Amino acid sequence: MLTLGEVHTGLLQNSTALSLDHTTQLLDLLVGQRVRRSERPIAYAVSPDQLTGVDCRLPTASGRVTRGVGTVVSHAAVTGGHVVQGSTYTRLDRAASNRRLIWSHYLSRPGRVETIGKVDFSDVAQGFLSPAPQPQTLNLGAVSARLMDVVQSSPRLDRRPPFRTKRTRLRWAIRPAPDATAEPRGTFRVESDTLRTLELTAPHDDVSALVELCEDLALHDWLLTTLLSLMEFSLTGPGTRAQKIDRLRPAIDCLLHLWMPAARLDESVLPVWRDLEHRPGFTRQWQTSVTRIRDQVTLSTIALLEAPAR
Amino acid sequence: MLIFATSDKGGTGRSVTSSNILYRSALQGSDVCYLDFDFGSPTAGAIFNIAAVAHGTTRGGLHEYLDGALAEPQRIEVWAESDRASLRERPPGAGRLVLLPGDAGGGEFPATREHVERCADLFLRLEEEFDLSLVDLSAGRSWATQMVLAATAMPKLRSVRCRWLVFHRWTRQHVLAASGLVYGPRGILDIGTRAGHDYDELLNSLRFVRTAVVDPDSPELEGLKPAQVAWLRECNQDLLELASVSRVGRTMLIGSVPLDPVLQWREQLISDNDVHARKIANLETVEAFSLLAKLIVDDSAWEML
Repeated sequence: MLTLGEVHTGLLQNSTALSLDHTTQLLDLLVGQRVRRSERPIAYAVSPDQLTGVDCRLPTASGRVTRGVGTVVSHAAVTGGHVVQGSTYTRLDRAASNRRLIWSHYLSRPGRVETIGKVDFSDVAQGFLSPAPQPQTLNLGAVSARLMDVVQSSPRLDRRPPFRTKRTRLRWAIRPAPDATAEPRGTFRVESDTLRTLELTAPHDDVSALVELCEDLALHDWLLTTLLSLMEFSLTGPGTRAQKIDRLRPAIDCLLHLWMPAARLDESVLPVWRDLEHRPGFTRQWQTSVTRIRDQVTLSTIALLEAPAR
Repeated sequence: MLIFATSDKGGTGRSVTSSNILYRSALQGSDVCYLDFDFGSPTAGAIFNIAAVAHGTTRGGLHEYLDGALAEPQRIEVWAESDRASLRERPPGAGRLVLLPGDAGGGEFPATREHVERCADLFLRLEEEFDLSLVDLSAGRSWATQMVLAATAMPKLRSVRCRWLVFHRWTRQHVLAASGLVYGPRGILDIGTRAGHDYDELLNSLRFVRTAVVDPDSPELEGLKPAQVAWLRECNQDLLELASVSRVGRTMLIGSVPLDPVLQWREQLISDNDVHARKIANLETVEAFSLLAKLIVDDSAWEML
């Protein structure tokens, strides 16, 4: 068994933070299905799950051809009225029979993809996590990106974002842990500017808790990435201190208050966050950056206060 | 903002001028990307000195993306991947410079509804990320031009700002052809209004750029005989009149780029090094590019009289 997923995270294309009510309407993508929302400790809403049918090759590191048939689950989420995420995942299992069955069989197992023929799950996990693109294979990222596009092109948004920034992608895979009592463990890698991978081993099969963990991690990784790039652009660029502070304004307006790691996560997956906080230390880097921004603002205030005295 | 670069005929220097404008814009601090929509002959890779995609990519470019074979077209970070040493270091304060190459061996194709949809989705995604996305269209009337006009007329792109730059050389035939491309039958305004654009709005978002312009008063012409200079002045005067009659005149002009020996010999980006250290390119050329990079995003340059 193997669970695969990919989360894309980006800035909601709106000039101000979207209120929770508007967010709920924005994510109301399926008729007759409710948008789940929560207000504490941070405004958060998630669209109903959508299913996408797939029948395609699975990515493999060895190049072996393995076919998978079934459905993948995806949903979109908005946090703090500013950050939008598209998340897609599916669980791979060996099929009982060696041929494709009628479609109702797969529809009765939402979020499962059955593999046909020989399969080596660790080979598939490696192929899926590898940064090199594998054309014509299962592409969960494309489904996430597509769903994000649907949200971003909604007429409810004014498309005048306070700043421009890249989307980031977190690709993750969960292998079952051999020992049922072990804590879940994860290895997080920054593969490129925009791609991160997370390899998890987890003893239990509470997929939704693990999916939420990955989405939470993707959100905070995006916040950190975006804050760092805004700071680099502001502080290394030419201009007076006032101009630099002005360029940091969007970070102060939209990002600084969104940091809330593991706010809604299930107890069982917290060890993974704890490990990541220990090393590389997400919150440590975030806090340092926030302090640096505040220091710059303070210095600029002092300069303003001193100006008339001169 | 989306900028569409087109020209009346081939050989106007559209690609090389627009690449240089975009390069200057990145140096000024904007995050920019360049889309090679010249599907018949993708050459942007050569201008940015990226040998692997000099004549289009084989790893899935814009053509394949629009055809639906890919979820996302290939992207090349020029600061990281250019083969030219002076481009490989991102200067402090400079924005991102990204190239989306066309496909090697691609060709023009009639645009279907699906092409237009994918084109619009791509524009929206780039709009999230980049301050400026420059779309280099092929010369003359093309399917690519029709496709982007249809895509930008879609309701979901209504709030995205689009501007058109029409490049032409400063000669009689080019002035007439540029006028025809914009105002003529099956020209940009004609196709655009049929796709759902407002005529005046589209016209207001369109400006001409003159390339390889020889200034009759330039000190470089001192070697010419008086009769030659007199003739040049006369030609220039005729052209000014022709341009004004063909509605390609001063009110519709956003800038001119002088004739530069470097660009005559090789399509490339002109770095500050080429001007100040190697002294092979003219300072005026770079100044013209920098000015254009500022004007294309400056709203006051786009106000109609």
